[in-house]
Amino acid sequence: MTASALQFSAEQLAEVRRLQERYPDRRGALLPVLHMAQETFGHVSLEVEAYVAGLFGLSPAHVHEVVTFYTLFFQQPRGRHVVAVCHNLSCHLAGAPDILAHVKARLGIEPGDTTEDGRITFQAVECLCACEAAPMAQVDDRYELNLTPEKVDRILEGLR
Amino acid sequence: MAERVLMRNFDRADSHTLAVYRQHGGYAAWEKARTLEPAALVEEVKQSNLRGLGGAGFPTGAKWSFIPKNHTGPVYLVVNADEGEPGTFKDRYLLEKDPHALIEGMLIAARAIRSALGFVYIRGEYVQPWRRFSGAVTEAYDAGLLGQGFDVVVHRGAGAYICGEETGLISSLEGKKGWPKVKPPFPAIKGAFGQPTIVNNVETLACVPPIIGRGAAWFAGLGTKTQGGTRMYSVSGRVRKPGVYEAPVSVTLRQLIELAGGVSHTGRLKAVVPGGGSAAILTADEIDVVMDVDGLRNAGSMIGSAGVVVLDESASIPEALMVLARFYAHESCGQCTPCRESTGWIYKMVHRIVDGHGRKDDLDTILDLARRGAGTTICAFYDGAVGPYISYIQKFRSEFEALCRA
Amino acid sequence: MPSVKLTIDGKEIEVEAGTNLIEAARRLGIEVPHYCYHPGLSIAGQCRLCMVDIEKAPRPTIACNTPAADGMVVHTQTDRVKETRRSVMEFHLINHPLDCPVCDQAGECWLQIYYMKHGLYEPRMADEKVHKPKAVPLGPHVILDAERCILCSRCVRFCDEITATGELGIFNRGDHSEIGLFPGRDLENNYSGNVVDICPVGALTDRDFRFQVRVWYLDTTKSICPGCARGCNIDVHVNRKRPHHAGGRRVARLKPRFNDAVNAWWMCDVGRYGFRRVDDADRVTVPQRRNGAERLDAGWDEAVAAVAEALGRHAPDEIAILASPDQSNEDLFALRRLCEARGIRQVAFRVPPAIASADDDFLLRADRHPNTRGAELVGLDGDAAGILAAARAGRVKLLWVFEHDLLSSGLPEARPALERVETLVWSGANANATSALAHHVLPLAAWVERDGTFTNFLGRVQRFRAAVEPLGEARAGWDVVGRVLAALGTPGTGSRAEHWFRALATSVPAFAGLTYQAIGDGGAMVAGAPPTTAPTPPGRRAPATVTA
Repeated sequence: MTASALQFSAEQLAEVRRLQERYPDRRGALLPVLHMAQETFGHVSLEVEAYVAGLFGLSPAHVHEVVTFYTLFFQQPRGRHVVAVCHNLSCHLAGAPDILAHVKARLGIEPGDTTEDGRITFQAVECLCACEAAPMAQVDDRYELNLTPEKVDRILEGLR
Repeated sequence: MAERVLMRNFDRADSHTLAVYRQHGGYAAWEKARTLEPAALVEEVKQSNLRGLGGAGFPTGAKWSFIPKNHTGPVYLVVNADEGEPGTFKDRYLLEKDPHALIEGMLIAARAIRSALGFVYIRGEYVQPWRRFSGAVTEAYDAGLLGQGFDVVVHRGAGAYICGEETGLISSLEGKKGWPKVKPPFPAIKGAFGQPTIVNNVETLACVPPIIGRGAAWFAGLGTKTQGGTRMYSVSGRVRKPGVYEAPVSVTLRQLIELAGGVSHTGRLKAVVPGGGSAAILTADEIDVVMDVDGLRNAGSMIGSAGVVVLDESASIPEALMVLARFYAHESCGQCTPCRESTGWIYKMVHRIVDGHGRKDDLDTILDLARRGAGTTICAFYDGAVGPYISYIQKFRSEFEALCRA
Repeated sequence: MPSVKLTIDGKEIEVEAGTNLIEAARRLGIEVPHYCYHPGLSIAGQCRLCMVDIEKAPRPTIACNTPAADGMVVHTQTDRVKETRRSVMEFHLINHPLDCPVCDQAGECWLQIYYMKHGLYEPRMADEKVHKPKAVPLGPHVILDAERCILCSRCVRFCDEITATGELGIFNRGDHSEIGLFPGRDLENNYSGNVVDICPVGALTDRDFRFQVRVWYLDTTKSICPGCARGCNIDVHVNRKRPHHAGGRRVARLKPRFNDAVNAWWMCDVGRYGFRRVDDADRVTVPQRRNGAERLDAGWDEAVAAVAEALGRHAPDEIAILASPDQSNEDLFALRRLCEARGIRQVAFRVPPAIASADDDFLLRADRHPNTRGAELVGLDGDAAGILAAARAGRVKLLWVFEHDLLSSGLPEARPALERVETLVWSGANANATSALAHHVLPLAAWVERDGTFTNFLGRVQRFRAAVEPLGEARAGWDVVGRVLAALGTPGTGSRAEHWFRALATSVPAFAGLTYQAIGDGGAMVAGAPPTTAPTPPGRRAPATVTA
């Protein structure tokens, strides 16, 4: 592996090994390690994929399969914050299209895109299973429930 | 008002902590289970008529008994906390408010199936529940409940509804794409990492401590002839008080809607999705159905994950179908041809219809494709898509036809 | 192995326990249509085309993943099965591009074939199809059209389970699933061409064959790859019907032919793409003799007479022969006869290459000649370096070289040796620097132009067959040597390769009892050589991790 900025620290490598040992086949640790890689490097680029592949003795193609399959892995740099608005059934019935339009108008971008200043990545996502508080969104690690345009404005305002 | 079994601890402050859980009888069932033989535990759960609460409704005790008796290698217990069925949110509540109930259920189940290693697969979006549950696992280890013959690995998903299918979950746990596996072999014979595996839903396992603690007969008696106990119904959509409601499985849909405050918006009921997005829709005059596995099956739908979504008169059925068709197209894993190709095409057609560019033959094409594809796929995902494809068009055809030009 | 008895379409059959229903049906001559199943790869169960009705099963079941069981009753032609096949065909074609007019696979495409057999429905997909990358090179030999791909995953499984190189994957999900390489990498293993064979459709096609000739113009002949000492069984596809296509080449492509004992379903890229020489411009097509700096065409009678005269004139110890392990057993036996007839002792066939080759990790042998073992058994082993030294010293006056280019070999000081000999005769198919120095050039038919046998490194004798007529005046080696023998007064052995083989089998104990019929299409072992099986593929040897 050629030296580059994209490497885990010694402690992290020890964590990778610890994770790998917890699974009957070390490949089971791939998702946890990819999460770790995304947190560490910001997103899972092709270089990160090849690096992680090396840690598991997998071909890079097979790591790429995994990264492109799951929606939570970002293959491109993402915004400092992710605003993922649910557009599935109960949220739709509770007005998700209006919330999506509102976010789109406020941020000036389409779902799937990131604001030019790198602040926010905006997504329209499938059921987050908080239907009792529809319409709702996942903002970074937390659920924001019972959204209204005003609440959305307050939330976006607070994302720096 | 029926007794709360699953939600008994929810209203307590710090209900997620070991101290509070123990204070109110937590882990007493586990202490009792430790004195019983595995076979006796399996039999008790069989007698309770507990049926899987994740979607398939398979009798839990029977599932546990499929582990080969002469197997000498490891057996894995896998908890399906990949809640993703539209309209369902009950497992999220359990993970956040009563994680020790799940851990206790796992301990008992693990003893019953002779497993020394359990995996809890939590959907990646559930960050707060993951932290809560991981905290409870740490407490359990510190208290010597875990790590004494049974270990638990908490594993986060990464965003894929198909990982809620038990073998899709297993593939994902193994570090691959969440592609469901061709069956046979079934997981109890050859599952995670090639070993016998039982996959159970969070809520199903949360039923196990009460069953062992208070007896199978009691649990069976709470429900109907073919399904025991209570369950947590997630009620949302156009109701006044959306939320999670526990009721005996003998409850009717009409009663549930009333529990949730009745129909909101126009106040007039149009339709109900009774069992999560994949369930066939019911019309307003079909709501006296009993909300257990067989009751809904006989009504041509399914209880699935018990996600109840209420639609009032002002809700558009074609739009609802479009939203779900988009969901299935997005979540199809792509492994097998009928699902991969037709979910995308059907979404295009429904989208076109909602946009006002529907063609005369579209509806019959969708129905025909759905009927042809049902039962031909590797897993039941497509059959779940077929539920809405067929029932929404069949039961509300005129609403669709109004959008299709001649 | 225990066996089970089952009934398929009313016919009873007994098979080994564990045989899947596609194979069981095949043995009864019943075809169960399928895409993702391949007998050399793991079960995928993805295409859903191989559904059959099994009594007591509520729904049709896939045949590939169903092992035959005692008393099983299977129906492959029920209305329900037929309707399911038609449905599955439609699902496969929903997003498939109408590329047939520009797709190389046309004529051997399993979407076409099965649509005509099991589809024949009125298409109704009038929405925009999903678009994916087209004409994407995947390394030097393979080109991908991702829209045509039916995602059967055979190619992915091949790169994992056979070559253990793991270059290919299926990315994304749903109908945006796409076959591809890890961005920036190539399909670089020595078996890349096999993914073209196993791809049922025109998603993976051969770059070498791209747009050359339509497959329905091709004729096929069973043969043996001459690329190394393994002797992979192949089919030679020749284009006789459209000589203006394929750049005028007669041989359009090679395909592996299944042989459990040698190469299973596979062949390496070195062999697969090494056939162009037979149609190259440097083919020697007429006998030639050198007159000073001039090269003159000659007729066969004249050429044979000249060589026979030289052989007769020189003393036996002034004559040396460098045979080639590229020649057939028949060719080599004819040479042995010649040596016996004239008392020639200085014979050899091993000429080391300038750069040594190596075995690869599967089929390809370091020895890039098909018949080294045959040459050994026929008794032509000797000291090539010694022969050249004797030629340099003037002791060898007549040197007859077959095929070799000594000037680009690993033998030192070949040029002074070749320039010193009085009479240099060269016989071969493709001209080279050595033939340029020869006094007499006798054109030999290439391996695709004649019948014969090779003996592989494990002692398996295998037949190769003429797929096309020899170019120009080229003749088989045994034919040329036979004529020279006749000119020397030794009666001929025969006018066909088979005659020479019969003579070989009577004279050389290793070949005793062998006949063309006994060798058949699968080959036969020489005496004392144990039966062989194809080697275990790299992907099945190590534990199931795939390295970068």
